[in-house]
Amino acid sequence: MTRLRSFVPAVAILVLAACGGGGGGSGSSSAPPSNFTDPALYSTLPTASLASAAELASVTHHQISVGGTTLDYTATAGHLTAANPVTGSPEASFFYVAYTLDDRDPGSRPITFFYNGGPGSATVWLHLGSFGPKRLATGEPATSATAPFPLVDNTETLLDVTDMVFVDAVGSGLSEAIAPNTNLTFWGVDADAAVFRDFIVRYVGANNRGASPKFLFGESYGTTRSAVLAHLLETAGVTLTGVVLQSSILNYNSNCGVFNPSSAVSCAGYLPTYGAVGDWYQLDNPSPPLAQLPTFMDQMRALATGQYEPALIRFLTQGTAPDPNLLTQLANTTGLPASGWQARFNLFPGYYQMNLLPGAITGLYDARMSAPVGGALAREGDPSSTFIEASFATMITRYLSTDLQYTNPSVYVTLSNAIEGWTYAHDELALPDVIPDLAAALAQNPELKVLSVGGYHDLVTPFFQTERDLARLGPSPSVAVRVYPGGHMTYLDDGSRVLEKADLAQFYRSTQ
Amino acid sequence: MSRPHRFRLAPLAAVLASLASLLSAPVAVADESPPAAAQRPLRDPWLPPDARNPSTAPPTQGAALREQVERKLKRDFDAADVSGTGTLTRAQASAAGLGYIARHFDQIDRNKSGVVRFDDVKRYLRERGAQLD
Repeated sequence: MTRLRSFVPAVAILVLAACGGGGGGSGSSSAPPSNFTDPALYSTLPTASLASAAELASVTHHQISVGGTTLDYTATAGHLTAANPVTGSPEASFFYVAYTLDDRDPGSRPITFFYNGGPGSATVWLHLGSFGPKRLATGEPATSATAPFPLVDNTETLLDVTDMVFVDAVGSGLSEAIAPNTNLTFWGVDADAAVFRDFIVRYVGANNRGASPKFLFGESYGTTRSAVLAHLLETAGVTLTGVVLQSSILNYNSNCGVFNPSSAVSCAGYLPTYGAVGDWYQLDNPSPPLAQLPTFMDQMRALATGQYEPALIRFLTQGTAPDPNLLTQLANTTGLPASGWQARFNLFPGYYQMNLLPGAITGLYDARMSAPVGGALAREGDPSSTFIEASFATMITRYLSTDLQYTNPSVYVTLSNAIEGWTYAHDELALPDVIPDLAAALAQNPELKVLSVGGYHDLVTPFFQTERDLARLGPSPSVAVRVYPGGHMTYLDDGSRVLEKADLAQFYRSTQ
Repeated sequence: MSRPHRFRLAPLAAVLASLASLLSAPVAVADESPPAAAQRPLRDPWLPPDARNPSTAPPTQGAALREQVERKLKRDFDAADVSGTGTLTRAQASAAGLGYIARHFDQIDRNKSGVVRFDDVKRYLRERGAQLD
C-alpha cells in the first residue's frame, strides 16, 4: 500500500469529499483517493501519546434497502481532535465511523453517538453487531456459525431513523491521546466523559449538526459514561434529545457481578436472570415457554424483592441461615439445586454459570450459550464472548479497508488494558454511581428522554438491577425500559434485534 | 475480547496480525503487548481486585438524590465563580465552560443585574420542570 505523504502535515486538515450536498459534509476540499491510508500508528498503551494529530478521513458512498426503501448514505471513517473547551489545547485524536443519509435537513435529522464500554473496549461490537448498515451474522445463540462470520446488509439498521457515529474511546481501537496527555490521562470516569464531550462538540461543529436532535447510545460501561456525559453536555450548553442505555451498569456499588466471586454486595438483582436462564435450559420447575417469560419475570422480581433480598440481608448482616422452603423455591425457579443455594446463598453469577450445567459452563454475556468444560469455547470462561471475539477483531480491519477505503498500519485493538488502570472514583464514592448524573441531566433538560434496553439472559449487567437503579429516579415519564430474550448484546439475537429496532424507532419518533 | 497484538512493521503486518488473531495464537512482540493481557478477564464491566471498594451506604433516592443533584450543580457554579462573589457574569460562565448558564443568562438574570446567583439558576431550572428542592 502506498503511503500518502501529502496527508501527513502536523496541522489539522478536515478532508471531506463533497457529495452533492450530502448531510454529513460541511466544507469541501479535494476528494481523497479511493484507497486512503492513514499512516499514523495508534497505540493503546497507557503511556502512549501522539505528538500531533491530523483530522483526516476517507469518504465513501453506499446504498442499502430498508423496508422497501433505498437509502443513499455516506460513510466517513477517520479522526477528529477533541480540544479542551477552556484552553483550546488538543486533548486526544478520536477515531470514528459516521454513517449519514444524503440530502437530509440537519435541523431535523437526528444524530446518534455510539460507544462500547470496558472501559477500554473499542466500539467494534456496536459498530459491526447492532444497528449500523452492515452487521456480522453470528447466528446466536447457536454456536454453529464458523468464524469469521459473514458481513451482511443490516435490514434492522437505524439508518432510516438517525445518522450514526461510532466512536472509539481514547486508548482503544484507533483513538489515542495527544501529548502532553497520555492515554492514561483519560482513563477515568470523569476525564473520559469530559473528553467524549469535547469530541462531540468537535464533531457537531465540524459537520454543522448544531441544530440536529442529538442522542447517545452507550453499552455496558458506555452507559456509565452516558450518564456522566449527558450531564456534562447539558452543562456545556449542548442540548440532548435522548439517551439509549444498552445493558446498563449505572451503579458499580449495586452490581455484585463486578465483585465476583464473592462480596457482601447483594446479588438479589440477578435473581430474575437466573430464572430466565434456568428456564432456557428447561431446568426450572416448571419451565414456562418463552411466550410466558415476561410473566415469569414479574414473579421473579417479586420473589427477589419480597423474599430473597430480606433473607439475604439477614444472612449477610447476622448470619441467619435461610429457610429451607425458600431454598427449595429458589432451586425450583432457577434450576440450580437447593444445595448450591445453601452453599452460596448470596449467589454470584460466576458460581451460577459454572454449576448450573454438569460438565459445562454457560456464557456470561449470553447465558443461553454453553460449552463443555475443557473445550475450546470454554477456554476463556465465557463461551458467548469467545464465540464472537475473533470474528469482530478480524472483520473490523477488513471492513474498514475494503468497504470504507480506510487503511491504517496499526492493529485495531478491541480491548486495551484501560480496565486495570482506570480511575473509578466519581463524586464522593470510590466506585461510580451515576444515577445522580442522570438525574442532573434530567434536571437541566426536562425534555430529555431515556430508553433502557437489556437482555433477560445477561449475567453481566442483569436487567432487574438496572430497573432498580433507574427506580431511584422516581416514577418518571422520561424513562422507559425494555427487556428482550438474549444477553448483553441483545441485538446479536435475530429475533430480538427486530424487536429492539422497532422499539428504538418508536423512541426516536416519540422525541420529535 | 481479543488480546492486543502490536507490530511496528510495514502495513503488510496488519494483514498478518489479523490472521494471527483469527488463529488466536498470542504472538510475541518486542516491547508493546502487556503480558497481563493474557490473564485479563474478558468481561465488560469488570473491576480489578484493588478497586473493589463498594459503598455500604444505601443508594440515594428522593430528597437525598435531589440534594446530590443540587450539590453537583453548585460545585460547577462555584468552580466558575473565580472571584468568590457568589455570582457569575455571562462572561465568567462562558469562560468556565458553563454554556447552559451562558446561553440562558438573560432568562436566569430576571432583574437584569448582569450577574446570576446559584439560587437564580435553581429557580430557572425549577420553572422549566426540574425536580429540585
